[in-house]
Amino acid sequence: MSEAEDKTAALLQQVWLRNRPMVEERLGRLDRAAAAAAAGTLAEELRKEAAEIAHKFAGSLGMFGYDHGSRVARKIELLIDYPAPDAARLSALTGLTVELRKAILPDA
Amino acid sequence: MRRILIIDDEDDIREVAALSLETIAGWEIITAGSGADGIRAAVDFKPGLDAVLLDVMMPGMDGPSTFRLMQQNPAIAGIPVLLLTAKVQGVDRRRFAGLGVAAVLFKPFNPLTLASQISEALGWKD
Repeated sequence: MSEAEDKTAALLQQVWLRNRPMVEERLGRLDRAAAAAAAGTLAEELRKEAAEIAHKFAGSLGMFGYDHGSRVARKIELLIDYPAPDAARLSALTGLTVELRKAILPDA
Repeated sequence: MRRILIIDDEDDIREVAALSLETIAGWEIITAGSGADGIRAAVDFKPGLDAVLLDVMMPGMDGPSTFRLMQQNPAIAGIPVLLLTAKVQGVDRRRFAGLGVAAVLFKPFNPLTLASQISEALGWKD
């Protein structure tokens, strides 16, 4: 890598570490949505919030090198990004949120 | 030196795009966190503003609405606008391409190649 690329990579790592609390907080909200979906009680407001979080993850994780995380987040977004997704689709949500957490915070 | 305005409501996207373009390409970067602030910044910095990188999904005024308002303002209508979106489905791509923007770039972008993507999209040789 060039010097500029090395510097950019180091700055990216700093941004990622600084943002980690926000990432963990957003993962927690996705977990809550998945738990509610599993219990058959996913409210519309929580679904919309979870879809927005998944969209943000899908668009940002790859910037930090977490390409698989971006792909998993995209799957979550596509699963819940419309009103009243059926139970069959929601059944995949828990597994995907677990996969997302492992993809971006493997040491957690 | 190129001067680029980044309009995105997400702090981390703005920060990463800015550090990438400043460090890799040596461009001057101005940022705004909303469409309204972005239009004001575009007007303020119009002399020498080479391009606008505009997020699609933002609360309040979204990217396409911001672009349309920019097109209605003769002072800034000629600035090339590149849409930046995490929507990758075909229907979205066609809709965005039909707006008349200079290019559509997709999130997540690679911070190490974002500058070259912009240069290529706008035909910049330097």
